[in-house]
Amino acid sequence: MGGYQEGIIILMCINCIAAMGVSILTGFTGIFTLGHAAYMALGAYTTAILTVRYGVHWIPAIIAGGLMAVLIAWLIGLPTLKLTGDYYAIASIGLGEAIRLILENWQSFTRGARGFPGIEPYTTRICAVIIFIGLAIITFNFLDSRLGRELRASRDDSAAASLMGFNTPRTRMKALLLSAFYCGIAGALLGGYMSFIQPSMFDMMKSTELTAVVVFGGLGSMSGTILGSAAITLIMEYFRDISQYRMLIYGLLLVIIMVFRPEGLLGSREIWELFSLENSKQEDK
Amino acid sequence: MQQIINGLSLGSVYALIAVGYSLVYSILLFSNFAHGGFLVVGGYACYFLLTQWGYSVPVSMAGALIASGLTAIITERLAYKPIRERTTTTLYLLIASMGVNIIIENLFVVTVGGRIRALPQNTFPTGIFKIAGVTLSASDIISLVTAVIFLTMLQIFLNKTRWGLAIRAAACDIRTAGLMGVNVTFLISLVFFVAGILAAVGGIFLSVRYSLYPQLGSITTKAFIAAVIGGLGSLPGAVVGSLILGLAEMLTAGFISSQMRDLVVYSLLVIMLLIRPAGFFGKAVSEKI
Repeated sequence: MGGYQEGIIILMCINCIAAMGVSILTGFTGIFTLGHAAYMALGAYTTAILTVRYGVHWIPAIIAGGLMAVLIAWLIGLPTLKLTGDYYAIASIGLGEAIRLILENWQSFTRGARGFPGIEPYTTRICAVIIFIGLAIITFNFLDSRLGRELRASRDDSAAASLMGFNTPRTRMKALLLSAFYCGIAGALLGGYMSFIQPSMFDMMKSTELTAVVVFGGLGSMSGTILGSAAITLIMEYFRDISQYRMLIYGLLLVIIMVFRPEGLLGSREIWELFSLENSKQEDK
Repeated sequence: MQQIINGLSLGSVYALIAVGYSLVYSILLFSNFAHGGFLVVGGYACYFLLTQWGYSVPVSMAGALIASGLTAIITERLAYKPIRERTTTTLYLLIASMGVNIIIENLFVVTVGGRIRALPQNTFPTGIFKIAGVTLSASDIISLVTAVIFLTMLQIFLNKTRWGLAIRAAACDIRTAGLMGVNVTFLISLVFFVAGILAAVGGIFLSVRYSLYPQLGSITTKAFIAAVIGGLGSLPGAVVGSLILGLAEMLTAGFISSQMRDLVVYSLLVIMLLIRPAGFFGKAVSEKI
């Protein structure tokens, strides 16, 4: 396998991890975010600074990156999760950009807009695939757990869920923390793959892409998210030769999907439910 | 004082753009991120009419306004209308509008290239006045005056004409307005046309003030924030929010540092959302998703 193919596999794993995170929040809890690239940035910078400046081994550093994203998400979530609907999405744009701008202007610590070079290339194919599969297994089990059902309940009808005794604000917070953790890990892996990070890699475009991928795969379908994310990564990478047209195609794709299949590739079903259609239809209705 | 004048002048440009956002939001309840694209279309149309085809300044500007307005209508028809007919979730419209923005931006990258252009120097009268120690440039005054003219015209249009009445009715409740005999499809096109025109005016000013390039539309994020601060869907809110934002930006740039201005803008947005999510003049919001 050539280096190019290998790179694509690594990128696919990274994007899938980030998309899984956003899917937990957006697809399963119903909170739309347009600022999750900031958590990737936090993960990437924490890991980069720990490994380069303090010589920490990359495994604990990646976990620290994830935890840093969780910590900041908690601080952000406390006040903002009270906002509903579009207003949380708007706030997340503001917060995401604010985090990016802080990273960009904190010259002494992050080297600002010039970017942070010299990160040890620890994200190999094996490492990316193992982390992805590990997280995917955890995610699918998690979604079937009590907490996963709690998320869906508060998405479908938060009033009813809280009447049933769920603490919906806490459920939303848990979903946010978990999704920030995934994005932090994805960011840390991205840093290790590129050996170089820059605040502009984690701008609003990236955040939009994350949410768009989740919608593309199907809100409330984790396998759809992974499939959608992998598909979009492949399309974007193989069109790199015609780079001018790449973004044009991406934009067209977004609009076309929204027009013709707003429910996404799989809707809210998981991929294995497609093979037993009758059952899943009954479950839907 | 100098910074206040600069802030007001920048704020007036934001106001033109923010009012377009608010207008669309008041009818369709979604944030049209393609607005930046309309602005870029206006800027480029003006540039090409002036330089390539050699039209006079007023004709070029009129052409730019119409080009933007038509782009807005076409966007609405091709992208938003089919989505509106299928679903009521505004998030799909939001994502589609981001897609449209990317398309427009990159259409220009592909066709005319990404390089930075400048509108000819003589587009606006240049000149600098000094009044009581404050430097006023002609373009600052023009942008202020034009913003006031266009916003007044919009206000008259909304308050005195039949279609303005229909738009206000639809902003209250678009379904009922439709039942009362308002041609909603036409009305939405009209709203997009007006929003496109306002975006083009903003686009021309921005390309004179800074320069013209395909990503110029990203500046509308600021106008969008201004609209949120003022209260999405409220036109006076959009104007007030824009002026606040313009002032905040210029005062930060003048007294703290120019790198901090964006940070201040985004912090303002977040603080505003936390204190009063509906903005200064917004309607109370209810859960939509």
